[in-house]
Amino acid sequence: MAEEIIMADAAEHENKPGKVLLDVRDLAVEFRTEDGNFKAVRGVDFELRAGETLGIVGESGSGKSVTNLAMLGLIPQPPGKITSGSARYDGLDLLRMSDKQLSEIRGNRIAMIFQDPMTTLNPFLTIDEQLTEVTRKHLGLSYKDALDRAIEMLEKVGIPGANRRVFNYPHEFSGGMRQRVVIAMALSCDPDILIADEPTTALDVTIQAQILELMQKLQDEHGTAIVMITHDLGVIANMANDVLVMYAGRKVEQAKVNDLFTDPRHPYTLGLLNSIPRIDEQVGAELSPVAGQPPDMSQTIQGCAFYPRCPYRIDECLQVDPPLVQVGTGTMHACIRDVTTLDPPTPK
Amino acid sequence: MIKFLLKRMLWMVLTMWVVFTISFFLMWTVSPEGALLSERQLPEAIKQNLERYYHLDQPLTYRYFIVLWEYLHLNPGPSMKLIDKSILEILREGLPISISLGVLGLSFALILGFASGIISALRRQTVIDVTFRSIATLGIAIPNFVLAGFAIIIFVFQLKLFPAAGWGRPIDLVLPSLCLAAPFAAYISRLTRTGMLEVLGQDYIRTAYAKGLMPTTVVLKHAFRGAILPVVSYLGPATAGILTGSLVLERIFFIPGMGSHFIEAVLQKDHPVSLAIVMVYTFLLFTMNTLVDLSYGLIDPRVKLDK
Ligand SMILES: Nc1ncnc2c1ncn2[C@@H]1O[C@H](COP(=O)(O)OP(=O)(O)OP(=O)(O)O)[C@@H](O)[C@H]1O
Ligand SMILES: [Mg+2]
Repeated sequence: MAEEIIMADAAEHENKPGKVLLDVRDLAVEFRTEDGNFKAVRGVDFELRAGETLGIVGESGSGKSVTNLAMLGLIPQPPGKITSGSARYDGLDLLRMSDKQLSEIRGNRIAMIFQDPMTTLNPFLTIDEQLTEVTRKHLGLSYKDALDRAIEMLEKVGIPGANRRVFNYPHEFSGGMRQRVVIAMALSCDPDILIADEPTTALDVTIQAQILELMQKLQDEHGTAIVMITHDLGVIANMANDVLVMYAGRKVEQAKVNDLFTDPRHPYTLGLLNSIPRIDEQVGAELSPVAGQPPDMSQTIQGCAFYPRCPYRIDECLQVDPPLVQVGTGTMHACIRDVTTLDPPTPK
Repeated sequence: MIKFLLKRMLWMVLTMWVVFTISFFLMWTVSPEGALLSERQLPEAIKQNLERYYHLDQPLTYRYFIVLWEYLHLNPGPSMKLIDKSILEILREGLPISISLGVLGLSFALILGFASGIISALRRQTVIDVTFRSIATLGIAIPNFVLAGFAIIIFVFQLKLFPAAGWGRPIDLVLPSLCLAAPFAAYISRLTRTGMLEVLGQDYIRTAYAKGLMPTTVVLKHAFRGAILPVVSYLGPATAGILTGSLVLERIFFIPGMGSHFIEAVLQKDHPVSLAIVMVYTFLLFTMNTLVDLSYGLIDPRVKLDK
């Protein structure tokens, strides 16, 4: 019974690999606080295709989370406000949907995993309660069918003794196990899109690798498109097809994963790559900050936001906020200079 | 769990014994004659009966053990004032009334407090929120008996919605228990609002929304439990407050509950009755606190009782 419903649902949403599932245009988000209008996201575009993984990197505060939360209507409003843009999914704009329409999509067609598995599960409710409520709501399952589904999902993500463990509370699981539960929960309606916001940052290295492998496996089985937000270029190298580099609320570079590592075009991306000791040292290669501070985003930024920290800066950079330009390989970048022809900056 | 309950029982017995001892000596040292000294003279025969029952000619320590022995057999003896009634009879009449008043008051406090607290949190910084919070501040600031005075003037004399005072029909309980509930409702409302705001900012609430749950489900199923934890711990002190509050309110509304009897007994120096009621109050408080701790464990699975 449960099986049939899920199959039918999946068939209806058959996604050919490469089909554009999500098309985000010019998304801008502000936080209106007492300290001023904080422009967290300033016009971001991207496309997500079926079966692919889009990596999003950028330092803390660059707007990675807010971009994705805003799409699903999950930023607190107020103080948050989506000031422009669209996010088309399945022919409809997520940003202009009613709460009811959006809630049909959240957790069902588009699921989200957050960073800290210790706090993303409700400590007051048992796992079965938290897992079954999703499938009962979106797939219309009875509790019994939903429970079967929950156990099946827990087994799939590698929780031993799932049929007993399903009745436990979150605090009875370790961090890694909890993140597996979270993944099981997110995937239990077989979503088209999975947004993973630093899913492994809070976990230790061996567990990180296992969780990533698990996500990869589930993606291969179900053709789920993944948005992978991370600080970790190793994760990007392993998982992503396309990479989007964000800086101060803007997309400063977007490239195929290989191009990003071999032929980076934006000085900020270069800075990120230089901060890794060796590119082939992958998992766990934490991204150490590029020297300097990101700009204060409650102020109007003159010219290029990266100017103060940029080793390639010239006076023209202060004239305009560089538009995105596309180069032959398909890479897009927002820099008026061609860093490939310039000498690397001399260390001071 | 069993261990926890046993431990609590032991503590209760110990506490009750201490309370008993202190109250007993305090009462009889402060006014050694008890009610026998009062202006209204008792018939000589009864007076002698009482003197014999309470061994008033014996030293206090001796009497202490006698009364303690009787208490261990749940026999608090006769009243020194209400000649035709034993203390047990007084309790049997008064207790149900007072408990109804207290339970009703606590229920009103919880219902009003939860509802207004949740609405305040969800509509924070709006007119509704500010209104509720102002009412709550007033509710905490105004003493019960002042409120009761206003309530009587408005609802009984002006609007004639409720009977003036007295006891018998269920409706007689409504106004007193509302007045009793008011300050507690106000405090619970504040606690619920704060708790709710705190919980609504938690990651797991965002998860609940990200799962596609509707706001009502998120608030009632995912946020409510965490939000009321501070209220649950407040229920212990609240019960104590309700007990003392009911002393005053029973007087104002002429309700023949334990509170009325207690005040009467204290004023008349009817020590046996006072002592018995003190013991009942101690017992109620202790039971309530244990229930609160138990429900804490039920609400929050991370709480371990056996510690
Ligand atoms: N609720 C909020 N109220 C006010 N400002 C907020 C709020 N949420 C986010 N911001 C601001 O928006 C900016 C972008 O935040 P965001 O969480 O998207 O960064 P991020 O790129 O995900 O960083 P991290 O890597 O640390 O997760 C931050 O500077 C943050 O201060
Ligand atoms: Mg983030």
